[in-house]
Amino acid sequence: MIDRALRHPSFVLGLSITLLVLGVALLAMIWTPFDPTAMRISARLRPPSATNWLGTDQFGRDVLSMLMMGARNALLVGVVAVGIGLSIGVALGMMAATREGSLLDEAIMRICDFTFAFPAVLTAILILTFLGPGLVNAILAIGIFNIPVFARIARGASLQVMARDYIRAAQAAGRSTFGILHRHVLPNITGILIVQASVQFALAILAEAGLSYLGIGTQPPNPSWGRMLNDSQTYFAQAAYLAIFPGAAIALCVLGFNLLGDGLRDVLDPKSKER
Amino acid sequence: MQHSSCRLALSLGLAALALPLALPAMAQAPKDSVVVCQTLEPPILDPAGGAAAAIREVTYDNVFETLLAFNAEGRIEPRLAEKIDSSADGLAHTITLRAGVTFHDGAALTAEDVKFSFERAMAPDSKNSQKWIFAPIDRIEARDARTVVITLKSFAGDFLDSLAWADATIFSAKSADKAAAEPVGTGPYQFVRWNRGDRLVLKRNENYWGRKPAIANATFRFISDPQAQVAALTAGDCDAHTNLSAPEAVPQLRANANLRVSVGRTEGETIVAMNNGKAPFNNPKVREAISKAIDRAQVNEGAISGFGTLIGTHFSPNHPAYLDLTGAVKYDPAAAKRLLAEAGYPNGFSVTLRLPPPAYAQRGGEIVAAMLGQVGIKVSIEPVQWAQWLERVFRQRDYDLTIVAHVEPLDINIYARDGYYFGYVSEAVKAAVARTKSAKTEAERIAAFQETQRLITADHVNVYLFMLPKITVSRAGLKGMWNNWPVPANPLAQLHWE
Repeated sequence: MIDRALRHPSFVLGLSITLLVLGVALLAMIWTPFDPTAMRISARLRPPSATNWLGTDQFGRDVLSMLMMGARNALLVGVVAVGIGLSIGVALGMMAATREGSLLDEAIMRICDFTFAFPAVLTAILILTFLGPGLVNAILAIGIFNIPVFARIARGASLQVMARDYIRAAQAAGRSTFGILHRHVLPNITGILIVQASVQFALAILAEAGLSYLGIGTQPPNPSWGRMLNDSQTYFAQAAYLAIFPGAAIALCVLGFNLLGDGLRDVLDPKSKER
Repeated sequence: MQHSSCRLALSLGLAALALPLALPAMAQAPKDSVVVCQTLEPPILDPAGGAAAAIREVTYDNVFETLLAFNAEGRIEPRLAEKIDSSADGLAHTITLRAGVTFHDGAALTAEDVKFSFERAMAPDSKNSQKWIFAPIDRIEARDARTVVITLKSFAGDFLDSLAWADATIFSAKSADKAAAEPVGTGPYQFVRWNRGDRLVLKRNENYWGRKPAIANATFRFISDPQAQVAALTAGDCDAHTNLSAPEAVPQLRANANLRVSVGRTEGETIVAMNNGKAPFNNPKVREAISKAIDRAQVNEGAISGFGTLIGTHFSPNHPAYLDLTGAVKYDPAAAKRLLAEAGYPNGFSVTLRLPPPAYAQRGGEIVAAMLGQVGIKVSIEPVQWAQWLERVFRQRDYDLTIVAHVEPLDINIYARDGYYFGYVSEAVKAAVARTKSAKTEAERIAAFQETQRLITADHVNVYLFMLPKITVSRAGLKGMWNNWPVPANPLAQLHWE
């Protein structure tokens, strides 16, 4: 399978971009060229140079350092928000699947439908207006919207698996429902969940950038790609690079996760191999 | 062949481009309309019904008039009052109104209207933001149609000057209730319509008592986004911008041959206000530490490209009583840390900085937060809309720190006001402010103002950053825009095209 994966161009490209972003984010935790929050107002709006590779912003902060720290924040949002969606969503979805057609199943699925009925970013704005702006609340708001996505997928995939004979056999052998879900169902739906997670990851990063762009996500001085993009608007005529770098970072990161997701789907799903 | 068809297409394209350019140029000859853009939209249009400067910016000396008025230089001149005779003790003022003044609805201006307007402002339910103006009034008597006598309870040296404030606007009893949305005044321009969120349209008052204005149709457009302001000016959507929010765009606009840029003064003391009524800001050492932790020159540079004038107290350098206290508090983060430790906060504390929308506050706020972070004060920034700011910060005093420009002239008396949003109470300041009113000579008055400045600076009530600049941009050929803002006002009657 690894062999097949390494021959899949979009998987390889997606993985390389993802690893690059991940590497930058991890590096930012221990080292950035400058303190990303340190202002040097006398050196503001400097174009890219040997000292500041990507230039400085309106307060003289180093854009490269801010982008690196922004990568860390973006990944943090992705990991935690998708983590929330994955853990709660999969549990709910599998629970619904074991009691297909029951009141519980209906209730869980109708709540999911209800949540889907609202545009995710719009509701995230509503939640943030209510909870107050900030990184943690943004993660929560994005995380909540990942729950129904995973619940639906987990339910559908679990139902397919549970119709198989070896599940019947396990039931006949007296295995508990939890045991069956844990030992037989979950391992069989992992692939599909991983693919979905990488797509959701890209969406979560995009959502965080969007919320921060609107000023209700990550709050200053904590750097965020979305807010850098918003701040740069004012200075576009004087310093276009301020918009280009964070914009490119968002595009690259989202592209990377989407390619990775596409690649993973092809690799993990043998049926689509020969497309 | 290919070449010639290319050339044909090119020349056709150029002709098509030139056509729309030529048409407005031909139609432009006798231009008597103007589109003036400004940053903020007024919440209402009644200058006696709210504190927002934007109300004054559109209505003062346009739709509404006052008995006396500020001119472009900040000097006070008669407007609706033709003559004022004051008694020897300074308590009774006999005001003779100008003859032949009518409101836009045709009603004649009478002494009863003056009595009505001031009594409306003094009423307990009035939302007038400068009630102190009317506080000294004992009674108002309309002696005849053109004569009104105002008797004061006690001497107030600044009473007559304060009649030039927009808060002392003269309304007609018949139409004052509609002033918030459909104002009717005596001014050179009358209200046509207000498309909320976009523009306010005014037209020349053909029955105006004074000189006939050159501009027949005037529109105020409201554009709050700094970059959109620059775009609207470059595209020609605005003939002028009253105070540009994008100081960094000044070099770019100066290079544009169609535009004229002037950087002038306002009366806007821009401050980091601290909630003195609440811990930890009720501790003078904490306030001193905050003052010392902020490098005002850097805030000026970073927030408004260095166009502001640094101040050390809540007073305008444009006024003769100004005391230069810029050196009184020096930037010294080490001393700030020491003071915080002495005050019992060796590890600092966490506060919220509520920022209103203007760019000076948003940008200044980020810099101030970073500087306070250097001395251990953890600042979380919370952007708020103006309505929220006025309600939560200004009225309910629900805040730790905020940044705002106080644009009213000579407003140091706010430090003596009970319940004001600073939460600052000082008997010494109250006494000094009272002396600015009771002073019989100009020298006494100046001394009292200077004493007040010294006291509030020594108490570190707020951090005094800079005077907000007025960056006026106008299309080449448009004359008469105010380059300075002694009061926030844009009198359209002074505009004309050359």
